[in-house]
Amino acid sequence: QTMTVRGVVSAASDGGTLPGVTVSVKNTTRGTFTNAEGRYELSVNAGDVLVFSFVGFETLEKTVATGTLDVVMAETAQALGDVVVIGYGTTNIKDATGSMEAISEEDFNKGNIVTPESLLNGRVAGLTINQGGEPGAGSTIRIRGGASLNASNDPLIIINGLPIENTSVGGSRSVLSSLNPNEIESFTVLKDASATAIYGSRASNGVIIITTKEAQDQLNITLGMQTNVSQLANKFDVFSADEYRELINERRPDLVGDLGDANTDWQEEIYRTGVSTNFNLSAEGSLFGKVPTRIGLNRTDQEGIRLTSEFERSAATLNMRPSFFDDALKVSVNVNYSLEKNRFASGQEGNAITFDPTQPVYDEESPFGGYFQYYQDNNDGVWDVNDLTPFAAWNPVANLMQTENRSTVNRVFGNIKLDYTLPFFPELTATVNLGYDEQSGEGFSRTSNESPVTQPPDQLFLGSSSEYTSYRVNRLFDGYLRYAKELTRFNVEGTVGYSFQKFKDDNWSSGELLNDQEDSEPVYNVSPDLVLIGLFGRANLSMDNKYFLTLSYRADGTSRFAEDNRWGYFPAAAVSWKINEDLFPDSDVFSTMKIRAGWGITGQQDIGDRDIYLPRYSIGLPTSQYQFGNQVLQVGVPIFRNDVIKWEETMTTNIGVDFGLFNDRFFGSVEYFYKESKDLLTNSAIADGSNFSNAGIQNLGNFTTQGVEFSINGDIIRSNEGFNWNVNYNTTFITQEITKLALGADILAGGIAGGTGGNIQLHRVGYSPYMFYVHKQVYDETGMPIEGAYADLNGDNVINDEDRYLHRNGIPDVTMGFLSNMNYKNWNLSFNLRAALGQYNYNNVNSVNAQLANIKLNNVLSNIPVSTLDSEFEITENVITSDYYIEEASYLKLDNITLGYNFTNPWFKGMKGANLSAGVQNVFVITNYSGIDPEVFNNGIDNTIYPRARTYFLALKFNF
Amino acid sequence: CTGQLDVTPNDPDVILVDDFYTTPESYKQGLAGVYGNLSLTGPSGPGSSSIQGLDAGTSQYGRGLWNLNELASDGAVWSWENDPGLRSLNRNTWSATNPILRGMFGRLMNSVSYANEYLRQTTDGALNDRGVDDATRADIQVYRAEARFLRAMAYYNMMDLFGQAPMITEDDPVGAYQAPKADRAELFAYVESELLAILPEMAEPLMNEYARADKAAAWMLLAKIYLNAEVYIGQDRYADCLSYCEDIIAAGFELTPDYLMNFMADNDETVARNEIIFPVVSDGITTQNYGPTTVMINGQVGSTEANGGDFGVAAGGWGGALRVTQQFSEVFMNGSYGTDDRNTLITADRTIEVSDIADRSTGYIIGKWSNKTSGGANGSANEIVDTDFPMFRLADVYLMYAEAHLRGGGGSATTAVGYINDLRTRANNPNTIGQSALTLDLILDERQVELHWEAHRRQDLIRFGKYTGSAYNWSWKGNAPNGIPLGAHMAIYPIPEASLAANPNLTQNPGY
Repeated sequence: QTMTVRGVVSAASDGGTLPGVTVSVKNTTRGTFTNAEGRYELSVNAGDVLVFSFVGFETLEKTVATGTLDVVMAETAQALGDVVVIGYGTTNIKDATGSMEAISEEDFNKGNIVTPESLLNGRVAGLTINQGGEPGAGSTIRIRGGASLNASNDPLIIINGLPIENTSVGGSRSVLSSLNPNEIESFTVLKDASATAIYGSRASNGVIIITTKEAQDQLNITLGMQTNVSQLANKFDVFSADEYRELINERRPDLVGDLGDANTDWQEEIYRTGVSTNFNLSAEGSLFGKVPTRIGLNRTDQEGIRLTSEFERSAATLNMRPSFFDDALKVSVNVNYSLEKNRFASGQEGNAITFDPTQPVYDEESPFGGYFQYYQDNNDGVWDVNDLTPFAAWNPVANLMQTENRSTVNRVFGNIKLDYTLPFFPELTATVNLGYDEQSGEGFSRTSNESPVTQPPDQLFLGSSSEYTSYRVNRLFDGYLRYAKELTRFNVEGTVGYSFQKFKDDNWSSGELLNDQEDSEPVYNVSPDLVLIGLFGRANLSMDNKYFLTLSYRADGTSRFAEDNRWGYFPAAAVSWKINEDLFPDSDVFSTMKIRAGWGITGQQDIGDRDIYLPRYSIGLPTSQYQFGNQVLQVGVPIFRNDVIKWEETMTTNIGVDFGLFNDRFFGSVEYFYKESKDLLTNSAIADGSNFSNAGIQNLGNFTTQGVEFSINGDIIRSNEGFNWNVNYNTTFITQEITKLALGADILAGGIAGGTGGNIQLHRVGYSPYMFYVHKQVYDETGMPIEGAYADLNGDNVINDEDRYLHRNGIPDVTMGFLSNMNYKNWNLSFNLRAALGQYNYNNVNSVNAQLANIKLNNVLSNIPVSTLDSEFEITENVITSDYYIEEASYLKLDNITLGYNFTNPWFKGMKGANLSAGVQNVFVITNYSGIDPEVFNNGIDNTIYPRARTYFLALKFNF
Repeated sequence: CTGQLDVTPNDPDVILVDDFYTTPESYKQGLAGVYGNLSLTGPSGPGSSSIQGLDAGTSQYGRGLWNLNELASDGAVWSWENDPGLRSLNRNTWSATNPILRGMFGRLMNSVSYANEYLRQTTDGALNDRGVDDATRADIQVYRAEARFLRAMAYYNMMDLFGQAPMITEDDPVGAYQAPKADRAELFAYVESELLAILPEMAEPLMNEYARADKAAAWMLLAKIYLNAEVYIGQDRYADCLSYCEDIIAAGFELTPDYLMNFMADNDETVARNEIIFPVVSDGITTQNYGPTTVMINGQVGSTEANGGDFGVAAGGWGGALRVTQQFSEVFMNGSYGTDDRNTLITADRTIEVSDIADRSTGYIIGKWSNKTSGGANGSANEIVDTDFPMFRLADVYLMYAEAHLRGGGGSATTAVGYINDLRTRANNPNTIGQSALTLDLILDERQVELHWEAHRRQDLIRFGKYTGSAYNWSWKGNAPNGIPLGAHMAIYPIPEASLAANPNLTQNPGY
């Protein structure tokens, strides 16, 4: 029986009508959109089910009964007012006092997502993620720039309440590479001390809480498949073979005889087109009608673009949420297993840049497996390393193909969480969370005996072989009590708890297996256990749902410090006030306006060493013995110790305003933060002769970071034609300054290639950390740099290290992220942009290669960067410290663009829907920087990176 | 559970001090650790270092001595001026931030702190607590004397190079103790008194195990400070110098019949042991380090000659890292040393001038050092060499005797001339001298010919008044191709900035 159904769709939060909502008849192609007033009209059969869907709202299904069907749609997690996971509990973001941001599935980046952090790169103000280009690569993650100089700047990462280590087990690509991104429900990024201080000793660099998907009662099966094709996006500009011949003819006619006949682009040769696939299957539902259970399976096979590099992950996750005693006891069990397999490919970029382009990749006559190498038989009757051309570079393709470096990593991690609400005292909940994370990696590296690279003592070409294992385990016990009481005008909530976590690790490596010498004996490295104990409490008070106060306190003990300094105390306080409700409750513009202010102290103890306070001796390795008479003795030497080492502390002040405009159609925040780290754990000079080194980790120095963050989200367009455009923009300004160092002494930083142990950066009081420490280049009247001519900045008529100055750094002043998401009917187009401004790189590729003498430095020809002709520099040594090589490296990147289509009518029985999407990752980079990618590691020192590929992908996802 | 916070090391190679000193052997291993600081840069292979602020290999004790004495004078130039600090050593433009100076300051004081720690762990009280038996205690008394010798030697080097040092003994705490400054006079007195005090405890000359110091090593150090006493404290102590030289010579040391055997891979096994008074050990397998012998042997390989095969290292060596200055070469080419075994100059297709430090085909190279054994076999590895570095050897004593005699220290001119001629004869040099030829100028040249690249040159030039000022200019002295005068303050290195900051009791040397 056909009928017409009409209705109004409105939003649950404020009752406002919603234009542009898709209204479709379930399992058919029929449908319409709500008009500007939120009204719709549709011809249906009685009993049909209507599906209401709209970006930012929970999809709703209603059965048609009468001719009128008004519906109220609830906003989904992205909007203000949702529950977010925080330390030892949850909060409502509308009532939150601290600086935090929650990103859930709808806001995740799309595209070729292999590791979890890719989901939120660029999404959160104050969070920078610098991800590597290799398959399954890890990232350098910073929240508000980090808080430390020499101790770790990595944020604390917590998966379902289990803090994980910030360094990966041997053989693994990264700490997060074993985690299936498809199973992640949300990230909460805790930025200021009032949000993080509950984690006390590990909170100075911010906290990222990862929550995996929880089982739902309804049966739901999804299957996702994705194929990616990756290609090299950019090459370093060196001479092509023909250009190189011309260069030699023109500049070094004496070397024409050394030229080969081939035309090889070595940068093409060391890369390939990488094909990757990704399968995800998840199934959830209620087991036996009682236990919500979810299973997730993932298989990722990724080929890197650098020859031979591979990443494979097989992961299974299980979540079960049974409850007992009429829901008084809720149990959540998460078990994750992953098997990660890698093949690592060593960096050959530098070699490919400089290898003579007129030489071939292959040479049939070559005894080195058919690869071209520089050699000549010296006819001494032995075929050994003395038959190689001294100092000739190795064929980079051969280097990749003749070495097999593989690893396998097994990881089991998970947690069991028990929440018990006392039946006779419902305000009180007791929670116990037990966590476990065990990782074991093993791997080997073998180099063919056809490779000339390995040179054991007898100098024959033996190849090379070695193995290693690496093991880590970490165990967690958390127990806490939560009391919550709602009164008429006041809400009171309190949490107190105890946390214990213990980390163990050990590593073994075989040494060289093909060389039976004392320097090839196995090496064990076993760290002391690390134990962290915390006692914590937090109180939340609110009045009239307008005024909020949070107080927290944590006492933390660490096994890293001696008994007297072992405990650190970390208080925090924050207030917020929903100002609009008092001052302009009827504003048409401001639907929300909340002012937040927070203060707190957090700590840092992650200095690598776990027992630096103990009087220890190191026993020399077999390679580090000393000879008395005819006896070789293993030496015993005392190790640097610091028995007064203590917590590094960071005090953070944060002031922010959260706002919602036009019924929260737009919402965002502005905040200012100021962080002051003191008693910095710095590796600095110690009085010579007083200890067992001339430098070591000491609590010396202060450091400040301040910045402003701004973010805004919202729907630019909500049309009644079904077109919606949602954007998210965030930007962060950060400045850092070192305010105190040990006795005012500068600290060199930033090691560079070229020479042995050179540094190009310096920490100095009054400046940002990692400033480039360079000579000031002098130019002639035509603007050409004069080789080796530097300004005599101290005026003593001697040009030496005293004339170096601090100039720029590699840390951007401003970072931005922009996500755009457009929907038109069943189509979706999204892209995200990321930018960094005020960032400079030291172009170490040019500083060691872009000099004419490098054309023939030793016995064979080498390619040089084309930019050498801009400077006409001759000799590396004369110019390597010049500020000429500091280049602006600001950039705008289009990280991803994805076009998707939702199929709402099933193709076969049982299918609920499907989504097909296609897109490009790493679409373009706009920059003036001359290297292949302005986004480098090592605080702006560019000595080549694994190139970030341009990836084309096609994905299909089914819902059953 | 707070007891869980007390952790102990789990690593088999890192243990608590009380778990280390448990056997008689461990006291010898501890002593080997103090000696090891002369050769090893750290306990975990040649890339590890207990000293920060510079490349691990460059922080090696002997390499520091070598760099500061040879590169900073006419002895050699280092081609790779990218290597931090080397350019300003080559060109005498160093400042207090030079990483090699910081490394050397730290390395020398590390000898002091290792020795102090050893002395602390071997006091009667500590040995009582650990129930050490009497036989071991008797050995430990000798070990302690040797630790004090090594500490005295480090302070001697501090006095020579930096002109001052923080004075720290085993009675001072471990941590960040800012010790008082000792100037040259105080260091002189301390080194002298320590050496005199330990002499009765030291083994008789040539009676100790190879590579461990004996009485002769202590006498040699005394002779060194007396020879340079005018530079250090403005006093004439040549008679004392000469007297100790006589003691050493009388103790049974002998010149190696073949000069070059002193500098070969097996110089720890051959008769060279009888000439070498105190070596610093190196081994391609068991004592790996980038110390002076590895640097010289790989460094002396020519960039175009690729003659590493002649010296038991890879053909290319380090690509021509080291060459000698024009003035160095001229001494060998002045006629007296043309056919001398000690003249190992390789001159073909090279210019005598080092017109451009980066151009490795300019300037002569030499072939004094080798990683081949006297039998012609290669050392155990092809980069890190087996060749031990003779810190002190008998030939030096001969020349010190002659010099001390000429400077009024007594002795006999005939004996002095005899010693010079012994050295020349050993080197198959027919040009023996008569008494009239015995002059200070001859001594300086003879010292260069005999002892070049053994880390003596800067000290010698200073003692002869030819280092700073304009009395003698070598190429690149003062950063000019033909050399220019250096300020007098350059005869002492600056206190490294980081060391000065970490211990404000030190004072910057004048002129820096």
